[in-house]
Amino acid sequence: MEPPKPTKQADVLRNAPTATPEEYEEYERLLAKHFTKDPSQARRAAASPDPEEARLKELTKKLFGTS
Amino acid sequence: MPPIITVMQAGDTSKPNPYTIAIIANPALETSSGSGTFVPDPILGDLPGFDAAAQYVFDVLFGRLPAQAEQLLADPLLGPRIRVVKVFDSGLPPTDPNALVSQFAPNIAEPRRDQFKSFLAVYNITADVAYAVTASPTHDRASAWFTTEDTSRGGTPFDVDGVAFTHWRFCAIPGTVALPVTSHSMTALHEFGHAASSFSDGMVIDQYVDNTVGLNNKRGRPIPAAFGTLDAVTFNADPTRDGLGYPPSWQSYHPDLIDPAVPSLMDNYWLAPGGVPEQCRFDRLTRQYFFDRLTVKLSRP
Repeated sequence: MEPPKPTKQADVLRNAPTATPEEYEEYERLLAKHFTKDPSQARRAAASPDPEEARLKELTKKLFGTS
Repeated sequence: MPPIITVMQAGDTSKPNPYTIAIIANPALETSSGSGTFVPDPILGDLPGFDAAAQYVFDVLFGRLPAQAEQLLADPLLGPRIRVVKVFDSGLPPTDPNALVSQFAPNIAEPRRDQFKSFLAVYNITADVAYAVTASPTHDRASAWFTTEDTSRGGTPFDVDGVAFTHWRFCAIPGTVALPVTSHSMTALHEFGHAASSFSDGMVIDQYVDNTVGLNNKRGRPIPAAFGTLDAVTFNADPTRDGLGYPPSWQSYHPDLIDPAVPSLMDNYWLAPGGVPEQCRFDRLTRQYFFDRLTVKLSRP
């Protein structure tokens, strides 16, 4: 995935004042990891929810107001 | 308007199926990942924009941007043998099979990898790596999925740290990229780095986060002198992560760089000193992996 531009973190945190730099870094880490998971296998494993994907959605909502 | 299929580079015309990179104007967007709702992609109304994006992809793949340092596919042993085809078909409706990109919140263009092979088959194109160029008005961050291999048609073994892998000659699902039409600089080559690598036989992953283990990323502290071996050749680790430095909380470390003055191409190239991402290159191990992998694929019958 395209890496974030240099001002991205500051821009996001300015718009999400309750979020922390650590949460932004965790978001980017989980997002990068998302794209290492084979979607075909993820579909097969859909019966057992992936806690990392759930956390990614939670952070997306907190940082960007959408999930 | 009839479909416009343009061969940008013929590649190895002695082969029935040369290594092929396809660049497609994405016909339809899935409004959000998994929604099942599809709308026309505005790129279908912008042929000049698509052509410019396709030319940009071609140029960065083959090392032709101004000041570009990475010349992997400019190697005469590789580049001229690669076929590059672009597809612009403005007559397609916004349906599931025509949607090659979904919008992943908040702003990521995500390739719908399962659609590419059958979509391209309509035009008699079989791709190893495929880009879908999108003009989504809201999702402007590129992403990619690794290749899924066809393990039934042979390959050449290699090993990483003594563990056996294979450079397979053919793919079952091509490596796929969703590329916003506004993409520039090293983005299309960075995404090629993901897409041309493999879910099963060498994942080339992002190095700008404290990532999981991949071909180009390991975890642990202290950082050892040697990153590991590729076909029994030892590659050093990058002790300092070029000029960026590893954050104290990280466990990740990377293979060493060809040019230690600039970030790896799979790291955050936007942070290149002097604001020149075009100076960024693949690290030594990743570059050798791609040379070997592409050599096998280009040598298939």
